[in-house]
Amino acid sequence: MSFFNIFKKKKSKEVAKDRLMMMLAYERANTHIENLDEMKKELIEVVKKYIKVKDVVIKTSSNQEIETLEVEIILEK
Amino acid sequence: MEVITITSGKGGVGKSTTTANIATALAMLGKKVVAVDFDIGLRNLDMILGLENRIVYDVVDVMEGRCNLAQAIIKDKRTKNLHFLPASQTKDKSVLDKDKVEKLINELKKDFDYILIDSPAGIESGFEHSIYLADRALIVTTPEISAVRDADRVIGIIDAKSKKAKEGKEVKKEIIINRIKPELVEKEEMLSIDDVLHILALPLIGVIPDDEDIIKSTNLGEPIVLNEKSLVGEAFRRVARRILGEEVEFLDFNKKKGLFSKLKRLFK
Repeated sequence: MSFFNIFKKKKSKEVAKDRLMMMLAYERANTHIENLDEMKKELIEVVKKYIKVKDVVIKTSSNQEIETLEVEIILEK
Repeated sequence: MEVITITSGKGGVGKSTTTANIATALAMLGKKVVAVDFDIGLRNLDMILGLENRIVYDVVDVMEGRCNLAQAIIKDKRTKNLHFLPASQTKDKSVLDKDKVEKLINELKKDFDYILIDSPAGIESGFEHSIYLADRALIVTTPEISAVRDADRVIGIIDAKSKKAKEGKEVKKEIIINRIKPELVEKEEMLSIDDVLHILALPLIGVIPDDEDIIKSTNLGEPIVLNEKSLVGEAFRRVARRILGEEVEFLDFNKKKGLFSKLKRLFK
């Protein structure tokens, strides 16, 4: 019963807001860098010179105020 | 003198109605205004302004040199100071090009206090041309997820397409929330003004309530700001005053409601 109440209580505007913010977080993050794959390959090459790399994961995120680029380097064990 | 582009991303959110009403309201405040329709192939503003029968030449005729600017500009007879430059109905959208647009706008700048550009929907070349020389962009959205999403995309590319931004200056960007239904917002079944502003992170310049009067005024070809008693008209008139730099309070749409809803709000 209480499980269903959770969904009942959520007004449609809250659902709209959540869906919109999720979508925008994704879209804002994916609009900017054009040659992401190329950059990724080059980054791997550079880091490889010094340490053994398994993979490089690049995440971008942004809103109207700030843009960030997160580079995660996964090392070989 | 200011070039203001009215844009949205999504179609059908009320760009042309907004352009027509703000242009008329600015003219009523004594400014010399020209409203320019940049929606090539899908001319619209002419009917909302009620000037469709007076078109001889259009914006493309001017740019192609088939007539001079003065021949194409229509002077509104009801509203002093209001002028209109219609879009072309040609199917070929590629007729506009950056240099020609710039030449046209610079020529208009000599004669007018405010140049209002009604941008086409979408983010293609028509949008790019209409934003290229803007000093200020008014982004129209309704409180619906699809409209807000498209508004967000447009906001993200305005600076990339603007000459002003390329020169290191800033294009002023402000939000107009159109067709808001206060009863639905109250019931939390519609995004509120704060929700939309929180998401788009830009200042608000207008809130326009949803009102059937708009349909009537479009039918008649008479911008609603000409109706002194209309609440929607008042909302647009206030946008015009804010454009002139005046600080004007936002309308409180709940004031119209009865005692019951006020009581209900107290207990929320």
